[in-house]
Amino acid sequence: MLYRTAGQFKTSYKSDMALFPVRQDAVLLMVILGFAWVVFPLTASEFAFQTLLIPILIYALAAQGLNILTGYAGQLSLGTAAFMGVGAYACYKLVTLFPWMNPVVAILLSGVFSAGVGVAFGIPSLRIKGFYLAIATLAAQFFLVWLFEKWGWLYNYNASGAIQVPNLEMFGHYVAGPQASSITQYYVVLAVVTLMTVLCINLTRGNLGRTWKATRDMDIAAELIGINLMRSKLTAFAVSSYVVGVAGALFVFMWRGAAEPNLFDIPLSFRVLFIAIIGGLGSILGNYLGAILIVGLPVVLGTVPQALGLSISSATVEHLNIMIVGALIVFFLIIEPHGLARLWALIREKLIIWPFPH
Amino acid sequence: MKTLTRLAGAAALGALMAGTIAGGAMAESLYAPNLAYRTGPFAATGIPLMNGQKDYMELMNARDGGIGGVPIDFDECETGYSTEKGVECYEKTKGKAIVTQPWSTGITLQVLPKTNVDQIPILAPGYGFSPMADGKVFQWAFNTPLSYWDGASILIKYIAAQGDLKGKKVAFLHLDHPFGKEPLPFLEAEAEAQGFELLPIPVGLKEMQNQSAQWLQIRRERPDYVIMWGWGAMNAGAITEAVKTKFPMENMLGVWWAGHDADLKIVGEAGKGYKSVSWSFPNPEAPIMADLQKYVVEPGKTLSNAEEMSGVFYSRGLVISMILGEGIRVAQEHAGKAEISPADLRWGLENLEITEARLDELGMTGMVPPFSTSCDNHTGHSGGWILEWDGEKFVKASDLIMPDSDMIAPLEEKAAMEYADANQPWPVNDSCGG
Repeated sequence: MLYRTAGQFKTSYKSDMALFPVRQDAVLLMVILGFAWVVFPLTASEFAFQTLLIPILIYALAAQGLNILTGYAGQLSLGTAAFMGVGAYACYKLVTLFPWMNPVVAILLSGVFSAGVGVAFGIPSLRIKGFYLAIATLAAQFFLVWLFEKWGWLYNYNASGAIQVPNLEMFGHYVAGPQASSITQYYVVLAVVTLMTVLCINLTRGNLGRTWKATRDMDIAAELIGINLMRSKLTAFAVSSYVVGVAGALFVFMWRGAAEPNLFDIPLSFRVLFIAIIGGLGSILGNYLGAILIVGLPVVLGTVPQALGLSISSATVEHLNIMIVGALIVFFLIIEPHGLARLWALIREKLIIWPFPH
Repeated sequence: MKTLTRLAGAAALGALMAGTIAGGAMAESLYAPNLAYRTGPFAATGIPLMNGQKDYMELMNARDGGIGGVPIDFDECETGYSTEKGVECYEKTKGKAIVTQPWSTGITLQVLPKTNVDQIPILAPGYGFSPMADGKVFQWAFNTPLSYWDGASILIKYIAAQGDLKGKKVAFLHLDHPFGKEPLPFLEAEAEAQGFELLPIPVGLKEMQNQSAQWLQIRRERPDYVIMWGWGAMNAGAITEAVKTKFPMENMLGVWWAGHDADLKIVGEAGKGYKSVSWSFPNPEAPIMADLQKYVVEPGKTLSNAEEMSGVFYSRGLVISMILGEGIRVAQEHAGKAEISPADLRWGLENLEITEARLDELGMTGMVPPFSTSCDNHTGHSGGWILEWDGEKFVKASDLIMPDSDMIAPLEEKAAMEYADANQPWPVNDSCGG
């Protein structure tokens, strides 16, 4: 009853294939976008911007990039963090070499570099599959982090070996660097993430997306029906690394403000992979849900004892936090092994037929 | 169901009451958060430091009712030495904090530009970015009483005193991380000036506990000295490997974070002769230790134990809180009010005057060398002692050695200006004298 589809008739293929064939979905999305674009920025505190809103969006974007590769094209990758690093370092070089460049343009351009690197490391995927490919991408992970450490030109021969985000201006406002206000940074991140999401949704629904899905489901069958596997796999690597690279540039430029090579190490890759898996492989919505669970929840949980006025030492809170989040991950995976996006799809289905279950 | 609702109601009411009580108490105190790490891979070295810091503030609150009559709300925010969590903690606490203590070079680098905008002093005693000493450029950052470059200078001076360094080979075993790379520019300059060969050997974060490759290289290269810039699990790894490869321990020297009693206890007798530079030293006879026993340990307010309290790191924690406490006291006197602002505290930290006499008053005789700060000198450059492991504990192996400031100052100034240029617009305070 709450989610009534009765009366919504599709009279053309076009309307049946629309992005949101059910009106309530479109309304829900509008409400969410309204919150993201208007309500949150007006009400959020500095803390909420810096620890919830901005990181959740950036992590969701990184997971989305990985999801294209792993969820849609079926190519397992453990090198996400390194490709994020390529984006971040490329962006750093771009803004220091060409200080006049618009920061958003620099961020979008930096994805091109990581796309190139991604394709290079994606070439083994033509010969190897599954876990073996995961190990090959792991090589990218080790090699690139090593490169970030050793190649002084990348970090302008800084004494500390870390990259530091300079103050960048756009239309008279600081958008990156310590002078930038959180709200501007949030809007830049939101705009880029929205743009990327629209791009990803359309790509995965289009011709390219269907090629990827065919490659994922059974590559031999896909080849038999005339899909060029090489093109399919390498485009997946390119698009995925592009999105991941943009996420990496946002990660450092719009949020962290500085980065050392070690930041782009395996733990970050795993974190993004967890977001993609727990959110749901092969879905766009899942990345957001996963990011909220993995990135947002620990922050919220950490503030609970203080809000309740309980005096628990911060180390204990941290331990409790790890246990609770871990338990929740196990719980969600038992309830719905296909991720939170699938869980939402089930809830939605239930709502549509409520109160008359089959 | 009814009981459940009632329970929930009671819980909510309780929470509300607790909230109002806590809120009421907080208005009359100074909020001084510490971005502590009692969890994660570096917890073993973090815990004694955090305990020392906390106990000093507990003592101030219990014995003197705070500083200048205002209790200190010394709060810990757990980072686990993760930069990401550190930034989260900084954002969480910065609203009402008068100071931020980031407790990692990575977090320091990250919050350094932000504190300039938010105008909150960073107190990073003995860590962080060495050029922070230049108070004209880094107006809000303090790495009292010694910077890493000072530490490297003291070590080189000590080695040079054992015999001419010309033609010698010095291995620099360091964590491959901003912290470990920090002294490299200074050491390179020193190697050139003194004519010794510097051999940097990085230890990756993942290889901290297994340094066989690095020690194989050391065995092959046969350096005359090994200087170790290690932290946490890396120290224990390096010391056990050094013992295994039979490297002469008396020729191995570490930075102050590589002088943790627990790391050396693992090898015990075999580690005899190992040295580490330090700007603090435990003094069990100091009056403050008796006061701590009476006001903090006996009422059960401490998280520490007797063995830890006799160690180098616990007493360093006390010194760190003392620096903050003195900064607050000086600021209160200058501002003429007890509830100071972050800007007042900055003035206080810029005008520290820690003399021998003041240390006696504080009951901390001999626990830290005297030092003073000024508007353009945010470090103080106190000098340090070389401590030596005698098989059971660290003992002093040298008198106070002062860093070679003539050599460090121009390097600092250059690096600070480079930082300011790379981060335009960056306000530089030219009104400082000197």
